[in-house]
Amino acid sequence: MSAKKILIVDDDGHLLLGLAAKLKTHGYAVFSAMDGISAMAVARQEVPDLVLLDLGLPGGDGFLVLERLRQMTEFVAIPVIVLSARDPATNKDRALRAGAVAFFQKPPANRELLGAIRNALGEEVALSQFLKT
Amino acid sequence: MILRETEQMEVKRYIPRTESPSCDLGGAGNAIVEIDLSSQERSQLLDVAAWSSMLEIYGRTMKVAVALTDPNGTLLGQCRNAQPIWALVRGATNEKVIGCSFCLTRLSPCTAVADALRTGLPTMTRDQAGLTHVAVPLTLGRHLLGAIIAGQVLDRYPDSLLLERAAKRFGVSFQLLWDLSSKQRPISHVAMQMAGDLLSTLGQAFVRQRYGAILEARIAQTNGRFRSLVEGVTDYALFTTDHVGRVTSWNIGAERMLGYPEATILGQYFSRIFTVDDIEGGVPEKQLLKAYREGRAEDEGWRVREDQTQLWADVIITPLLEEEKADSGFAVVMENVTDRRKAAIELEAARQERINLQERFLSHVSHELRTPLTALYFFITNLLDGVVGDLPLLQREHLEFSLENVKQLRDMVDDLLDVSRIETLKLNVKPRQFVVSRLIEEALRTCRGNAVSKNIRLGSHIASDLPSAWADRARLLQVLVNLIDNAIKFTPDSGAVTLGAQLFADDRSFLCLSVSDTGCGITPDQCEMVFDRLAQVKASTEVSRKGLGLGLFISRELVVQQHGRIWVDSQVGRGSTFSFTVPVFSVATLCESIFTPSNLMAGCVTVIVVDVPPIVGEVQTDYLAEIRAILERSILAGHDLLLPAAADNESATTLFIIACAETSRVEAISSCLREALDDFDCGSRAKPRISATTLRLAANELPWKQRIVDVSRRIEKLIQARLLDKGYLG
Repeated sequence: MSAKKILIVDDDGHLLLGLAAKLKTHGYAVFSAMDGISAMAVARQEVPDLVLLDLGLPGGDGFLVLERLRQMTEFVAIPVIVLSARDPATNKDRALRAGAVAFFQKPPANRELLGAIRNALGEEVALSQFLKT
Repeated sequence: MILRETEQMEVKRYIPRTESPSCDLGGAGNAIVEIDLSSQERSQLLDVAAWSSMLEIYGRTMKVAVALTDPNGTLLGQCRNAQPIWALVRGATNEKVIGCSFCLTRLSPCTAVADALRTGLPTMTRDQAGLTHVAVPLTLGRHLLGAIIAGQVLDRYPDSLLLERAAKRFGVSFQLLWDLSSKQRPISHVAMQMAGDLLSTLGQAFVRQRYGAILEARIAQTNGRFRSLVEGVTDYALFTTDHVGRVTSWNIGAERMLGYPEATILGQYFSRIFTVDDIEGGVPEKQLLKAYREGRAEDEGWRVREDQTQLWADVIITPLLEEEKADSGFAVVMENVTDRRKAAIELEAARQERINLQERFLSHVSHELRTPLTALYFFITNLLDGVVGDLPLLQREHLEFSLENVKQLRDMVDDLLDVSRIETLKLNVKPRQFVVSRLIEEALRTCRGNAVSKNIRLGSHIASDLPSAWADRARLLQVLVNLIDNAIKFTPDSGAVTLGAQLFADDRSFLCLSVSDTGCGITPDQCEMVFDRLAQVKASTEVSRKGLGLGLFISRELVVQQHGRIWVDSQVGRGSTFSFTVPVFSVATLCESIFTPSNLMAGCVTVIVVDVPPIVGEVQTDYLAEIRAILERSILAGHDLLLPAAADNESATTLFIIACAETSRVEAISSCLREALDDFDCGSRAKPRISATTLRLAANELPWKQRIVDVSRRIEKLIQARLLDKGYLG
């Protein structure tokens, strides 16, 4: 089985680097984009299994990216996890209503972030089955 | 008439048949009213010119001489209608008469006027020439004004011998005296008494009439002064209205302030100077009612000028009281304080602006620190996880310290955000019912790591049978964790930190949670200020200085916003106990809004229970939220209440509706719920089950409040029983 593809969209290069390295060691194929437009381009090219999305992006709000992903039939099923510095009190509900599966305020705890990723990719059951055998 | 030198003074007094007129001015009863009179007004009362025609007519009608005197008996003006005998004798004699101008001669001075004034009664005297006069006192309240003397008449037919002696005595012609005496008809004492009586009545009535004139003059003067004062006031609007609020007077200040000329506003309702919203809200009427009931109504608010511009006015309305008639109308005094108001608004705006700026800055800082912090966190954890290869032990140790510091930084950034929310009142708390013991377990779990690393014993004492709490669980966890972390931080190695929970002794509608440590303690003067913003006890800084010192400030705000309080008891060197209170979950409190007398007219309350069948291994939060939304739509706001998630977790699948309704409406609600749930796509899940229990209110003789408390208790028991069945509360 080939590795699940994760697209990270964030305008902070260091964060991309750190998170990408982390996800790779957990067996994911990682792609990244630093703004909304390239995010859509990479998504079209690679068709990721999951998107980790920042909200504050240059040249367009993360919500715009989320909206467009939800509108396009080829992406409508891709789970999106929002990872943002913004206040969850004002952004979490909005993100979930717009179709995100989870919202994390930076910095997230690794365990919870990875748990949400696995959950969104439907790996939790598979993992527990794997552990049973 | 016989003149006898030796004749004793003859003074006769009599009681008038009517009540003494001198007491009449007191109004009802005999009370004498204190009347203030200036000396000028006193002399006005006995102004001879005013009295002259009355005295003249009286003298001629009664055929007596009459004169006005001051209190000493001195004549004021002339004696009117002087009688011929008296005139003849008076003209002929040089004898001086003391005390009374009417006496021709006496053995002792005549005291008729003084006696009359002293006794308040008419006093009759006969002089040695055989002529009689009566002195009538003139009084007003306690003021002795003077007297009227009337007389100079014979009281019997004279004989020639007496006249002869009198003529000789006074040196007048006997023939002349005889002629005059035979022409005059004597007036008997009885007739004289009646004449005195009449004169007394007339005199007092005239005094009162004169006094009335003086009062009128005074009122006119006062009114004139008041009018010129009122009209001259330009800085205040002064106007009066009748009892329903129609303008009856309007000063120049009102015209200037509000624009309406007096002519256009008179007779109009004063409500036209109110804003449309105030008029619709019945504010003008309410203010008049308040002034009428309480004697005064004060208000500050917007008023509308004739040109529809607005001003901010300070208004005082007082009822006008005329002769104890309470509905005489109202006086309104208005001051234009728009400038003051503007200044206050600007000040508030500036304050708000400063807070906004501060909030923006804090939230900006908090926001901007997060991304680099995240990158740092990822790199450090990557290194520790061996993502870029294995690490020697020492490097690993250093990285672990770095990670600790990153976590501290994260907490500070969170605190900054919380503080900015507190400052802008954006800190939202969402209360729900939860079990405190579980919250404490969770807090202990969270802090265990820190405690273990310092070898600190972490324990708890939780009272049994604690009622559940009603608060924002996550926020309270934050407070608890903060207090425990602080306690661990300020407690030396091998110390102990203990959590406690019990009913609050001072007020059993609260729980009291506490965190005790065996740390360095705080001095009493510092106990007050540890909760202040950016306060960190100085003495403790040597022990450890971590964080921004915002934790206790945030904790206090969180507790206070949930209606609790927080405080610290401490002994230096022995340790500190931080305590805070949390409201107990109470159905009664939640139901207060719907338990109104009209809602409970039917005398019963129904608990509708909606059981949502759970499906194992599935996240149900969204599904339950949708069911809740359906329930919310199916009930009548203000009559029924959907209780919040009633257990410790949000996925509680039993929901409760309290309905103030009798059986027929409960059936209507239930069928409405069923319909709504039928329309709702439950997917593969079983449909929710609906059941209802109706509780009757206790007997009528109990006070209303007690009946409400009783029924709330019964509802609570019912709910607890259902939740226990389900295993949500344990």
